[in-house]
Amino acid sequence: MRPMSLALASILMAVTLTGCKIVKTQTQPATASAGSDASEAGHVDQVLADTYDAKLLPLIAQNALTVADLRRAVTADLDATGKAHGNRGAGAGAAWNFAVKGQGTVIAANLESRARKADLDTDGDGAADVTLQLGPVINGTALRDLAPFYDFGQFRDQIEFAKLARAINDKASAALTLPEGDLVGRKLNFLGAVTLKKPTDPFVVTAVTVGVAP
Amino acid sequence: MKLTRRLLLSAVAISLAGVLPSLAAAADKIAIITPSPDNPFFKAEADGAAAKAKELGYDVMVLVHDDDANKQSELFDSAIAAGVKAIILDNAGADASVAAVQKAKDAGIPSFLIDREITKAGVAVSQIVSNNYQGAQLGAGEFVKLMGEKGPYAELLGKESDTNAGIRSKGYHDVIDQYPDMKPVAQQTANWSQTEAYSVMESILQAHPEIKGVISGNDTMAMGAYAALEAAGRKDVIVVGFDGSNDVRDSIKAGGIKATVLQPAYQQAQMAVEQADKFIKTGATGIEEKQLMDCVLINGDNAAKLETFALAQ
Repeated sequence: MRPMSLALASILMAVTLTGCKIVKTQTQPATASAGSDASEAGHVDQVLADTYDAKLLPLIAQNALTVADLRRAVTADLDATGKAHGNRGAGAGAAWNFAVKGQGTVIAANLESRARKADLDTDGDGAADVTLQLGPVINGTALRDLAPFYDFGQFRDQIEFAKLARAINDKASAALTLPEGDLVGRKLNFLGAVTLKKPTDPFVVTAVTVGVAP
Repeated sequence: MKLTRRLLLSAVAISLAGVLPSLAAAADKIAIITPSPDNPFFKAEADGAAAKAKELGYDVMVLVHDDDANKQSELFDSAIAAGVKAIILDNAGADASVAAVQKAKDAGIPSFLIDREITKAGVAVSQIVSNNYQGAQLGAGEFVKLMGEKGPYAELLGKESDTNAGIRSKGYHDVIDQYPDMKPVAQQTANWSQTEAYSVMESILQAHPEIKGVISGNDTMAMGAYAALEAAGRKDVIVVGFDGSNDVRDSIKAGGIKATVLQPAYQQAQMAVEQADKFIKTGATGIEEKQLMDCVLINGDNAAKLETFALAQ
């Protein structure tokens, strides 16, 4: 009887001990958090160099839905559309991100701002239904968050992950060439990314390419 | 046979009591430890966690560390001695809190952190924090827009020991520094405090009467700064905060402070308790330790929908 209870006690001990098995995560973040600002910048630059042309641009080109198709799909079911065509950012409450393409007539444009924007009418009703972000200041993280291969867990912290988003945005906006002169009335085509939290959110598209439509 | 079984059972009970005193406690209890509820943000956290814990059938032990790491350490001792099953913590310092959380872990008590990170991973089971950087970028974007992309401005920083103070400031500057006509003329800490912000704002106004805007690391400091501006007859200065408190909501609705950024504090605290419950029952949360929650910009358009750190849909 005594050895039995001892055995039981040791089983219990084993059970309770395995109950708090957080040990394995201890080693991994220690190295991850050791990075200095310099190596952090190096990591972000490396990720950007490895992925932007090779993976991100092809992903956007491949997955892009037209504005009309995307709007129809998200109005019917945002989550289902997101699972089929989009990607969710890191963390609870994060929005869906989609690649999107289209063309439309510029109804209004603000090229004076550091965050240049053009409002486009893509469905021909005379009213703007898409806003293009043209940089150099780009708001949001749509380009980063639409790619499943950018994983928050692989970055040191939220600052480093944010630096990646900024680096991607800077690269995208630097690559844009806009037609000379006033944009209003001109027909543009575009490819880019949009973040949607609700089906009714306005389409604010971070453009990766913008051109004059024929 | 019967006797053997009874003896066995008592042996089990004794070994249980010896091995894990917390398991032997009759009522399952969860400790909730936060900074002072004088800041409504922390009150919302404590309330959210307590409500969820009670809903899941736990007793709660609500404790306040007043941003004092020594006091926090004593509170951990009390919680451990009380045999709590889990600790929900908004900590009193990113570095200083590691030891307290480790102490609980060594006693077999898991900690679930909200709002503020600690500097070591693998000690707490969960660290659920607002995406402060994303939130700061939202607030800064609105601030720049309100400022017309130009002009002299001041920044109020939070308490230096809190990682969120630095993260928010970096997020602000990531956006603002892209606008060459935005001129930073003062950057000072007011330690998250409303009264400190009032006096800091008074002295900034004296040194830099030309300022057009103030961006603040949190809402209590924004309230203090706005009060000082109002007293000086400078309601024209644009103030933007961070947290999404009811005080700032009311100020926005009254045309005072212009914007803030909501951290879903209530929901965050509830998530932490849900994860604690799952961990207590199954030994794992099934989720990564570090979790981010997105923040939401609050301005005149949606302020009316804000109540106690939650936005109505």
